[in-house]
Amino acid sequence: MSLSTLTKPWAATSYGFLDASAKRELRRKMLKAIAVPGCQMPYASREVPMARGWGTGGLQVTLTLVNPASTIKVIDQGADDGVNAASIRRFISRVSGAAETWDTLDASIVQSRHRVPEETLGDRQILVLQVPNPEPLRGVEPNISIARQMHADADYGKLWLTLYEQIVRKGRIMQGAAYPSMVNGRHVMTPSPIPRWDVPKLNMARHLTFLSAGREKRLFAVPPFTRVEPLVFSDRPYRVEDHADLVCRRSGVSGYFMNELPIDGGGSAFEVSDSNLGIKAIQQAEGGEAAIGPTWYRNGEFSA
Amino acid sequence: MLTIAAPDAAEARCNATFEALMWAMARPGAPQALPETGLAAVIETLVDIECTIFADDAGLRAYAADTGARVTGNPADADHVFLDSLDAPEALLIAIPCGSALYPDDGATVVALAPHGVGHRLRLRGAGIDGVREVTLGVPPAFWALRAQLCCYPEGFDLLLVDGQAVIGIPRSSLVEVL
Repeated sequence: MSLSTLTKPWAATSYGFLDASAKRELRRKMLKAIAVPGCQMPYASREVPMARGWGTGGLQVTLTLVNPASTIKVIDQGADDGVNAASIRRFISRVSGAAETWDTLDASIVQSRHRVPEETLGDRQILVLQVPNPEPLRGVEPNISIARQMHADADYGKLWLTLYEQIVRKGRIMQGAAYPSMVNGRHVMTPSPIPRWDVPKLNMARHLTFLSAGREKRLFAVPPFTRVEPLVFSDRPYRVEDHADLVCRRSGVSGYFMNELPIDGGGSAFEVSDSNLGIKAIQQAEGGEAAIGPTWYRNGEFSA
Repeated sequence: MLTIAAPDAAEARCNATFEALMWAMARPGAPQALPETGLAAVIETLVDIECTIFADDAGLRAYAADTGARVTGNPADADHVFLDSLDAPEALLIAIPCGSALYPDDGATVVALAPHGVGHRLRLRGAGIDGVREVTLGVPPAFWALRAQLCCYPEGFDLLLVDGQAVIGIPRSSLVEVL
Protein backbone atom coordinates (compact mmCIF):
# COMPACT_ATOMS: atom_id res chain seq x y z
CA MET A 1 0.00 0.00 0.00
CA SER A 2 1.27 3.42 -0.91
CA LEU A 3 -0.01 6.91 -0.36
CA SER A 4 -1.13 7.19 -3.95
CA THR A 5 -3.51 4.24 -3.57
CA LEU A 6 -5.11 5.91 -0.56
CA THR A 7 -5.63 9.30 -2.16
CA LYS A 8 -7.47 10.63 -5.15
CA PRO A 9 -5.98 12.60 -8.02
CA TRP A 10 -5.70 16.29 -7.27
CA ALA A 11 -8.66 18.44 -8.25
CA ALA A 12 -9.15 22.17 -7.78
CA THR A 13 -12.64 21.74 -6.30
CA SER A 14 -15.04 18.94 -5.56
CA TYR A 15 -17.77 18.51 -8.11
CA GLY A 16 -20.89 20.24 -6.85
CA PHE A 17 -18.93 22.20 -4.21
CA LEU A 18 -19.55 19.73 -1.35
CA ASP A 19 -16.83 17.22 -0.65
CA ALA A 20 -17.50 13.51 -0.97
CA SER A 21 -17.84 12.86 2.76
CA ALA A 22 -20.41 15.64 3.14
CA LYS A 23 -22.42 14.13 0.31
CA ARG A 24 -22.26 10.64 1.77
CA GLU A 25 -23.54 11.89 5.11
CA LEU A 26 -26.39 13.74 3.42
CA ARG A 27 -27.23 10.68 1.33
CA ARG A 28 -27.45 8.48 4.42
CA LYS A 29 -29.71 10.99 6.15
CA MET A 30 -31.86 11.54 3.07
CA LEU A 31 -32.52 7.79 2.82
CA LYS A 32 -33.52 7.71 6.50
CA ALA A 33 -35.68 10.80 6.03
CA ILE A 34 -37.57 9.07 3.21
CA ALA A 35 -37.92 5.89 5.26
CA VAL A 36 -39.54 7.79 8.16
CA PRO A 37 -41.56 10.52 6.42
CA GLY A 38 -41.85 13.77 8.36
CA CYS A 39 -39.32 12.75 11.02
CA GLN A 40 -36.49 15.25 11.46
CA MET A 41 -33.08 13.70 10.87
CA PRO A 42 -30.04 15.55 12.22
CA TYR A 43 -27.11 16.15 9.88
CA ALA A 44 -23.83 18.01 10.07
CA SER A 45 -24.76 20.91 7.75
CA ARG A 46 -21.45 21.89 6.17
CA GLU A 47 -20.35 25.38 5.34
CA VAL A 48 -21.51 26.68 1.99
CA PRO A 49 -20.63 30.13 0.64
CA MET A 50 -23.83 31.66 1.91
CA ALA A 51 -24.99 32.74 5.36
CA ARG A 52 -26.99 30.28 7.42
CA GLY A 53 -30.67 31.07 7.15
CA TRP A 54 -30.56 31.95 3.44
CA GLY A 55 -31.26 28.48 2.12
CA THR A 56 -28.11 26.58 3.06
CA GLY A 57 -30.11 23.48 3.98
CA GLY A 58 -31.89 23.34 0.66
CA LEU A 59 -28.65 24.14 -1.13
CA GLN A 60 -26.81 21.20 0.45
CA VAL A 61 -29.58 18.78 -0.56
CA THR A 62 -29.62 20.16 -4.10
CA LEU A 63 -25.82 19.99 -4.38
CA THR A 64 -25.94 16.34 -3.30
CA LEU A 65 -28.57 15.48 -5.91
CA VAL A 66 -27.29 17.55 -8.80
CA ASN A 67 -25.47 16.14 -11.83
CA PRO A 68 -24.64 17.63 -15.25
CA ALA A 69 -27.95 16.31 -16.65
CA SER A 70 -30.05 18.08 -14.00
CA THR A 71 -32.18 21.13 -14.69
CA ILE A 72 -32.49 23.47 -11.76
CA LYS A 73 -35.27 25.89 -10.88
CA VAL A 74 -34.93 28.02 -7.76
CA ILE A 75 -37.74 30.21 -6.49
CA ASP A 76 -38.07 32.63 -3.63
CA GLN A 77 -41.69 33.30 -2.65
CA GLY A 78 -42.71 32.04 -6.08
CA ALA A 79 -40.35 34.30 -8.03
CA ASP A 80 -37.40 33.06 -10.08
CA ASP A 81 -35.78 36.47 -10.33
CA GLY A 82 -35.43 37.34 -6.64
CA VAL A 83 -31.81 38.01 -5.75
CA ASN A 84 -31.62 35.04 -3.35
CA ALA A 85 -33.16 32.64 -5.88
CA ALA A 86 -31.09 33.91 -8.80
CA SER A 87 -27.86 33.72 -6.80
CA ILE A 88 -28.53 30.18 -5.58
CA ARG A 89 -29.50 29.01 -9.07
CA ARG A 90 -26.39 30.55 -10.63
CA PHE A 91 -24.16 29.07 -7.92
CA ILE A 92 -25.59 25.56 -8.38
CA SER A 93 -25.20 25.81 -12.12
CA ARG A 94 -21.63 27.12 -11.82
CA VAL A 95 -20.40 24.34 -9.56
CA SER A 96 -22.27 21.50 -11.29
CA GLY A 97 -22.82 22.40 -14.93
CA ALA A 98 -26.54 21.76 -14.49
CA ALA A 99 -28.95 23.64 -16.72
CA GLU A 100 -30.95 26.54 -15.30
CA THR A 101 -34.62 27.07 -15.97
CA TRP A 102 -37.54 29.17 -14.82
CA ASP A 103 -40.07 26.68 -16.15
CA THR A 104 -41.50 24.27 -13.56
CA LEU A 105 -42.24 21.73 -16.30
CA ASP A 106 -38.58 21.53 -17.40
CA ALA A 107 -37.02 21.33 -13.95
CA SER A 108 -35.70 18.08 -12.47
CA ILE A 109 -34.96 19.76 -9.13
CA VAL A 110 -37.01 22.67 -7.82
CA GLN A 111 -35.45 24.40 -4.83
CA SER A 112 -37.89 26.74 -3.18
CA ARG A 113 -38.22 29.19 -0.38
CA HIS A 114 -41.78 29.41 0.95
CA ARG A 115 -43.82 28.33 -2.08
CA VAL A 116 -44.72 25.22 -4.04
CA PRO A 117 -45.12 25.96 -7.77
CA GLU A 118 -48.70 26.07 -9.06
CA GLU A 119 -48.04 23.62 -11.88
CA THR A 120 -48.28 19.99 -10.79
CA LEU A 121 -44.90 18.34 -10.16
CA GLY A 122 -44.42 14.95 -11.78
CA ASP A 123 -42.99 11.52 -11.02
CA ARG A 124 -39.30 12.30 -11.53
CA GLN A 125 -39.26 15.78 -10.06
CA ILE A 126 -37.79 16.64 -6.67
CA LEU A 127 -38.92 19.60 -4.61
CA VAL A 128 -36.36 20.91 -2.12
CA LEU A 129 -37.83 23.29 0.42
CA GLN A 130 -35.65 25.60 2.50
CA VAL A 131 -36.77 25.45 6.10
CA PRO A 132 -35.94 28.13 8.69
CA ASN A 133 -37.43 26.30 11.68
CA PRO A 134 -37.93 22.55 11.26
CA GLU A 135 -39.45 21.97 14.70
CA PRO A 136 -43.26 22.32 14.74
CA LEU A 137 -43.19 22.07 18.53
CA ARG A 138 -40.79 24.98 19.08
CA GLY A 139 -43.58 27.43 19.78
CA VAL A 140 -45.01 25.25 22.50
CA GLU A 141 -41.86 23.55 23.77
CA PRO A 142 -38.55 25.43 23.54
CA ASN A 143 -36.54 22.55 25.01
CA ILE A 144 -35.52 20.41 22.01
CA SER A 145 -34.90 17.32 24.15
CA ILE A 146 -38.45 17.45 25.46
CA ALA A 147 -39.73 18.18 21.96
CA ARG A 148 -37.93 15.06 20.73
CA GLN A 149 -39.61 13.04 23.47
CA MET A 150 -42.97 14.49 22.41
CA HIS A 151 -42.35 13.37 18.81
CA ALA A 152 -41.40 9.92 20.10
CA ASP A 153 -44.65 9.77 22.05
CA ALA A 154 -46.68 11.33 19.19
CA ASP A 155 -47.71 13.82 21.86
CA TYR A 156 -49.07 16.69 19.79
CA GLY A 157 -51.77 17.91 22.17
CA LYS A 158 -50.11 21.29 22.63
CA LEU A 159 -50.27 21.97 18.88
CA TRP A 160 -53.99 21.28 18.89
CA LEU A 161 -54.24 23.62 21.87
CA THR A 162 -52.59 26.51 19.99
CA LEU A 163 -55.02 26.02 17.10
CA TYR A 164 -57.93 25.90 19.56
CA GLU A 165 -56.73 29.08 21.26
CA GLN A 166 -56.59 30.85 17.90
CA ILE A 167 -60.21 29.88 17.24
CA VAL A 168 -61.27 31.04 20.72
CA ARG A 169 -59.43 34.36 20.46
CA LYS A 170 -59.95 35.25 16.82
CA GLY A 171 -62.83 33.10 15.65
CA ARG A 172 -60.70 31.29 13.09
CA ILE A 173 -57.32 29.58 12.77
CA MET A 174 -54.75 32.33 12.28
CA GLN A 175 -51.80 30.09 11.38
CA GLY A 176 -50.89 31.53 7.98
CA ALA A 177 -47.73 29.65 7.07
CA ALA A 178 -45.87 26.58 8.29
CA TYR A 179 -49.19 24.97 9.13
CA PRO A 180 -48.48 21.88 11.30
CA SER A 181 -49.28 18.77 9.31
CA MET A 182 -49.38 15.08 10.19
CA VAL A 183 -47.23 13.03 7.82
CA ASN A 184 -47.96 9.37 7.19
CA GLY A 185 -50.21 9.36 10.25
CA ARG A 186 -47.29 9.52 12.68
CA HIS A 187 -45.01 12.58 12.72
CA VAL A 188 -46.17 16.18 12.72
CA MET A 189 -43.95 18.35 10.57
CA THR A 190 -43.83 21.98 9.70
CA PRO A 191 -44.07 22.14 5.92
CA SER A 192 -41.67 25.15 5.98
CA PRO A 193 -43.36 28.55 5.75
CA ILE A 194 -45.42 27.70 2.68
CA PRO A 195 -48.91 29.25 2.82
CA ARG A 196 -51.92 27.11 3.71
CA TRP A 197 -52.68 27.19 -0.03
CA ASP A 198 -49.66 24.96 -0.73
CA VAL A 199 -49.98 22.30 1.98
CA PRO A 200 -52.53 20.15 0.07
CA LYS A 201 -50.01 19.97 -2.81
CA LEU A 202 -47.77 17.77 -0.64
CA ASN A 203 -50.54 15.30 0.20
CA MET A 204 -50.42 12.14 -1.97
CA ALA A 205 -48.26 14.03 -4.46
CA ARG A 206 -46.39 12.39 -7.33
CA HIS A 207 -43.10 14.12 -6.58
CA LEU A 208 -40.55 13.67 -3.80
CA THR A 209 -40.12 16.51 -1.32
CA PHE A 210 -37.07 17.20 0.83
CA LEU A 211 -37.25 19.83 3.54
CA SER A 212 -33.89 20.88 4.86
CA ALA A 213 -32.89 23.37 7.56
CA GLY A 214 -29.20 24.26 7.30
CA ARG A 215 -28.99 26.49 10.35
CA GLU A 216 -30.91 24.00 12.50
CA LYS A 217 -29.05 21.04 10.94
CA ARG A 218 -32.06 18.85 10.32
CA LEU A 219 -33.75 17.47 7.25
CA PHE A 220 -36.97 15.59 6.62
CA ALA A 221 -38.82 14.31 3.61
CA VAL A 222 -42.23 13.60 2.17
CA PRO A 223 -42.06 10.72 -0.33
CA PRO A 224 -44.56 10.47 -3.20
CA PHE A 225 -48.03 9.19 -2.30
CA THR A 226 -47.69 9.99 1.38
CA ARG A 227 -50.48 11.44 3.47
CA VAL A 228 -49.87 15.00 4.63
CA GLU A 229 -52.84 16.06 6.73
CA PRO A 230 -53.02 19.54 8.24
CA LEU A 231 -54.11 19.40 11.88
CA VAL A 232 -57.78 20.44 11.94
CA PHE A 233 -60.79 19.95 14.14
CA SER A 234 -63.53 17.80 12.62
CA ASP A 235 -66.03 20.68 12.88
CA ARG A 236 -63.57 23.28 11.54
CA PRO A 237 -62.46 22.22 8.07
CA TYR A 238 -59.05 23.21 6.73
CA ARG A 239 -59.31 26.43 4.75
CA VAL A 240 -56.81 27.78 2.28
CA GLU A 241 -56.40 31.50 1.67
CA ASP A 242 -59.32 33.22 -0.04
CA HIS A 243 -57.48 33.82 -3.29
CA ALA A 244 -59.77 31.96 -5.66
CA ASP A 245 -61.46 35.12 -6.97
CA LEU A 246 -58.40 37.38 -7.12
CA VAL A 247 -57.12 38.41 -10.55
CA CYS A 248 -53.47 39.13 -11.33
CA ARG A 249 -53.15 42.71 -12.54
CA ARG A 250 -50.31 41.93 -14.93
CA SER A 251 -51.13 38.54 -16.43
CA GLY A 252 -54.88 38.41 -15.87
CA VAL A 253 -54.78 34.88 -14.45
CA SER A 254 -57.04 34.07 -11.54
CA GLY A 255 -57.54 31.20 -9.14
CA TYR A 256 -53.93 31.03 -7.94
CA PHE A 257 -52.05 32.27 -4.90
CA MET A 258 -51.53 36.02 -5.18
CA ASN A 259 -49.12 38.58 -3.76
CA GLU A 260 -50.97 41.52 -2.29
CA LEU A 261 -49.48 44.89 -3.20
CA PRO A 262 -50.67 48.02 -1.39
CA ILE A 263 -51.61 50.80 -3.77
CA ASP A 264 -51.70 54.57 -3.36
CA GLY A 265 -54.82 55.82 -1.64
CA GLY A 266 -55.50 52.50 0.10
CA GLY A 267 -56.70 49.18 -1.22
CA SER A 268 -54.57 46.50 -2.85
CA ALA A 269 -53.59 45.16 -6.20
CA PHE A 270 -52.71 41.53 -6.76
CA GLU A 271 -50.03 39.74 -8.73
CA VAL A 272 -49.74 36.00 -9.17
CA SER A 273 -47.11 34.70 -6.73
CA ASP A 274 -45.78 31.96 -9.04
CA SER A 275 -44.11 34.50 -11.30
CA ASN A 276 -43.23 32.14 -14.14
CA LEU A 277 -46.87 31.06 -14.39
CA GLY A 278 -47.72 34.72 -14.86
CA ILE A 279 -44.97 35.12 -17.47
CA LYS A 280 -46.24 32.13 -19.40
CA ALA A 281 -49.81 33.44 -19.25
CA ILE A 282 -48.64 36.80 -20.65
CA GLN A 283 -46.66 35.04 -23.41
CA GLN A 284 -49.73 32.98 -24.30
CA ALA A 285 -51.90 36.11 -24.38
CA GLU A 286 -49.38 37.68 -26.76
CA GLY A 287 -49.59 34.67 -29.05
CA GLY A 288 -46.43 32.93 -27.80
CA GLU A 289 -45.83 29.22 -27.52
CA ALA A 290 -45.51 29.01 -23.73
CA ALA A 291 -47.11 25.83 -22.43
CA ILE A 292 -48.79 25.94 -19.04
CA GLY A 293 -48.92 22.48 -17.50
CA PRO A 294 -51.75 21.07 -15.41
CA THR A 295 -52.09 22.92 -12.13
CA TRP A 296 -53.00 21.71 -8.67
CA TYR A 297 -55.70 24.36 -8.38
CA ARG A 298 -58.28 24.70 -11.12
CA ASN A 299 -60.63 27.68 -11.01
CA GLY A 300 -59.41 28.34 -7.50
CA GLU A 301 -60.37 24.87 -6.24
CA PHE A 302 -57.82 22.25 -5.24
CA SER A 303 -58.35 19.31 -7.58
CA ALA A 304 -55.36 17.01 -7.81
CA MET B 1 -14.94 32.64 -16.87
CA LEU B 2 -15.30 29.75 -14.49
CA THR B 3 -15.09 26.39 -16.13
CA ILE B 4 -16.95 23.53 -14.55
CA ALA B 5 -14.99 20.40 -13.84
CA ALA B 6 -16.94 17.37 -14.97
CA PRO B 7 -17.65 14.87 -12.21
CA ASP B 8 -15.01 12.16 -12.06
CA ALA B 9 -16.03 8.54 -12.56
CA ALA B 10 -16.49 7.86 -8.84
CA GLU B 11 -18.61 10.97 -8.34
CA ALA B 12 -20.81 10.15 -11.34
CA ARG B 13 -21.20 6.55 -10.16
CA CYS B 14 -22.10 7.58 -6.58
CA ASN B 15 -24.56 10.20 -7.82
CA ALA B 16 -26.33 7.69 -10.10
CA THR B 17 -26.28 4.98 -7.41
CA PHE B 18 -27.78 7.33 -4.86
CA GLU B 19 -30.46 8.42 -7.29
CA ALA B 20 -31.46 4.76 -7.71
CA LEU B 21 -31.38 4.12 -3.94
CA MET B 22 -33.38 7.30 -3.25
CA TRP B 23 -36.15 6.48 -5.71
CA ALA B 24 -36.11 2.86 -4.52
CA MET B 25 -36.81 4.09 -0.96
CA ALA B 26 -39.32 6.67 -2.16
CA ARG B 27 -41.28 4.14 -4.27
CA PRO B 28 -41.17 0.89 -2.29
CA GLY B 29 -41.36 -2.21 -4.46
CA ALA B 30 -40.56 -0.45 -7.74
CA PRO B 31 -37.22 -1.59 -9.20
CA GLN B 32 -34.68 1.12 -9.99
CA ALA B 33 -31.59 0.76 -12.18
CA LEU B 34 -28.18 0.90 -10.52
CA PRO B 35 -25.20 1.90 -12.65
CA GLU B 36 -23.28 -1.18 -11.55
CA THR B 37 -23.93 -4.72 -10.42
CA GLY B 38 -23.43 -5.69 -6.81
CA LEU B 39 -23.16 -4.13 -3.40
CA ALA B 40 -19.74 -2.48 -3.72
CA ALA B 41 -21.20 0.62 -5.42
CA VAL B 42 -23.70 0.98 -2.56
CA ILE B 43 -20.80 0.92 -0.08
CA GLU B 44 -18.95 3.51 -2.15
CA THR B 45 -22.06 5.72 -2.17
CA LEU B 46 -23.05 5.57 1.48
CA VAL B 47 -20.26 4.27 3.68
CA ASP B 48 -17.25 6.11 5.06
CA ILE B 49 -15.28 6.68 8.23
CA GLU B 50 -18.41 7.69 10.16
CA CYS B 51 -20.07 4.28 9.66
CA THR B 52 -19.94 0.90 11.32
CA ILE B 53 -20.73 -1.92 8.96
CA PHE B 54 -21.50 -5.61 9.18
CA ALA B 55 -21.03 -7.76 6.08
CA ASP B 56 -21.22 -11.52 5.75
CA ASP B 57 -19.04 -11.44 2.63
CA ALA B 58 -15.28 -11.23 3.23
CA GLY B 59 -14.68 -9.30 0.00
CA LEU B 60 -17.20 -6.62 0.97
CA ARG B 61 -15.69 -6.41 4.45
CA ALA B 62 -12.30 -5.65 2.95
CA TYR B 63 -13.82 -3.16 0.50
CA ALA B 64 -15.73 -1.40 3.29
CA ALA B 65 -12.64 -1.31 5.51
CA ASP B 66 -10.84 0.56 2.70
CA THR B 67 -13.40 3.35 2.98
CA GLY B 68 -12.34 3.85 6.60
CA ALA B 69 -15.52 2.41 8.05
CA ARG B 70 -15.36 0.31 11.19
CA VAL B 71 -16.10 -3.31 10.31
CA THR B 72 -17.82 -5.22 13.09
CA GLY B 73 -18.60 -8.88 13.60
CA ASN B 74 -21.65 -8.02 15.64
CA PRO B 75 -24.63 -6.78 13.59
CA ALA B 76 -26.03 -5.05 16.71
CA ASP B 77 -23.26 -2.44 16.42
CA ALA B 78 -23.71 -1.79 12.70
CA ASP B 79 -25.53 1.06 11.04
CA HIS B 80 -25.19 -0.55 7.60
CA VAL B 81 -25.67 -4.30 7.20
CA PHE B 82 -24.68 -6.04 3.95
CA LEU B 83 -26.03 -9.56 3.47
CA ASP B 84 -25.64 -12.11 0.69
CA SER B 85 -29.11 -13.42 1.44
CA LEU B 86 -32.04 -12.62 3.70
CA ASP B 87 -32.25 -16.35 4.38
CA ALA B 88 -29.86 -15.54 7.21
CA PRO B 89 -29.79 -17.00 10.74
CA GLU B 90 -32.57 -15.55 12.89
CA ALA B 91 -30.08 -14.52 15.60
CA LEU B 92 -28.35 -12.26 13.06
CA LEU B 93 -31.56 -10.65 11.84
CA ILE B 94 -32.85 -10.04 15.36
CA ALA B 95 -29.63 -8.23 16.24
CA ILE B 96 -30.00 -5.62 13.47
CA PRO B 97 -30.52 -2.22 15.17
CA CYS B 98 -34.01 -0.78 14.81
CA GLY B 99 -33.36 2.58 16.46
CA SER B 100 -35.77 3.92 19.01
CA ALA B 101 -38.84 6.13 18.95
CA LEU B 102 -36.55 8.92 20.17
CA TYR B 103 -33.91 8.30 17.49
CA PRO B 104 -35.51 6.49 14.53
CA ASP B 105 -32.41 7.33 12.46
CA ASP B 106 -30.43 4.80 14.51
CA GLY B 107 -32.27 2.03 12.64
CA ALA B 108 -29.89 0.25 10.26
CA THR B 109 -29.88 0.25 6.48
CA VAL B 110 -29.88 -3.38 5.36
CA VAL B 111 -28.54 -3.95 1.85
CA ALA B 112 -29.04 -7.52 0.68
CA LEU B 113 -28.89 -9.59 -2.47
CA ALA B 114 -32.34 -10.98 -3.25
CA PRO B 115 -33.65 -12.23 -6.61
CA HIS B 116 -36.46 -10.10 -8.06
CA GLY B 117 -39.39 -11.65 -9.90
CA VAL B 118 -39.08 -15.12 -8.39
CA GLY B 119 -40.17 -16.54 -5.06
CA HIS B 120 -43.01 -15.17 -3.00
CA ARG B 121 -45.54 -12.58 -4.02
CA LEU B 122 -45.85 -9.66 -1.62
CA ARG B 123 -48.37 -6.88 -1.33
CA LEU B 124 -46.92 -3.58 -0.12
CA ARG B 125 -48.80 -0.68 1.39
CA GLY B 126 -47.69 2.58 2.94
CA ALA B 127 -45.82 5.79 2.21
CA GLY B 128 -44.61 6.00 -1.37
CA ILE B 129 -47.24 3.63 -2.75
CA ASP B 130 -50.40 4.71 -4.53
CA GLY B 131 -52.78 2.21 -2.92
CA VAL B 132 -51.06 -1.16 -3.07
CA ARG B 133 -48.15 -2.52 -5.08
CA GLU B 134 -47.42 -6.18 -5.67
CA VAL B 135 -43.89 -7.42 -6.02
CA THR B 136 -42.30 -10.87 -6.19
CA LEU B 137 -39.10 -11.36 -4.24
CA GLY B 138 -36.92 -14.36 -3.47
CA VAL B 139 -37.07 -13.79 0.29
CA PRO B 140 -38.37 -16.44 2.69
CA PRO B 141 -41.80 -15.57 4.20
CA ALA B 142 -40.37 -16.14 7.68
CA PHE B 143 -38.23 -13.03 7.16
CA TRP B 144 -41.30 -10.84 6.67
CA ALA B 145 -42.93 -12.24 9.81
CA LEU B 146 -39.75 -11.46 11.74
CA ARG B 147 -39.55 -7.97 10.22
CA ALA B 148 -43.13 -7.27 11.30
CA GLN B 149 -42.18 -8.22 14.85
CA LEU B 150 -38.98 -6.19 14.91
CA CYS B 151 -40.07 -3.06 13.05
CA CYS B 152 -42.57 -1.16 15.13
CA TYR B 153 -42.88 2.09 13.14
CA PRO B 154 -41.09 4.53 13.44
CA GLU B 155 -38.56 2.03 14.73
CA GLY B 156 -37.18 -0.46 12.25
CA PHE B 157 -34.59 -1.12 9.56
CA ASP B 158 -34.76 -0.17 5.91
CA LEU B 159 -34.19 -2.73 3.18
CA LEU B 160 -32.47 -2.29 -0.15
CA LEU B 161 -32.72 -5.51 -2.14
CA VAL B 162 -30.27 -5.77 -5.02
CA ASP B 163 -30.55 -8.18 -7.94
CA GLY B 164 -27.99 -7.58 -10.66
CA GLN B 165 -28.36 -3.95 -11.65
CA ALA B 166 -31.82 -3.52 -10.13
CA VAL B 167 -32.60 -2.40 -6.61
CA ILE B 168 -35.91 -2.54 -4.75
CA GLY B 169 -36.33 -0.59 -1.54
CA ILE B 170 -38.62 -1.56 1.30
CA PRO B 171 -38.41 1.11 4.01
CA ARG B 172 -39.76 0.56 7.49
CA SER B 173 -42.88 2.57 6.57
CA SER B 174 -44.05 -0.19 4.20
CA LEU B 175 -46.53 -2.80 5.37
CA VAL B 176 -45.64 -6.14 3.80
CA GLU B 177 -48.24 -8.83 3.32
CA VAL B 178 -47.14 -12.24 1.98
CA LEU B 179 -49.72 -13.52 -0.53
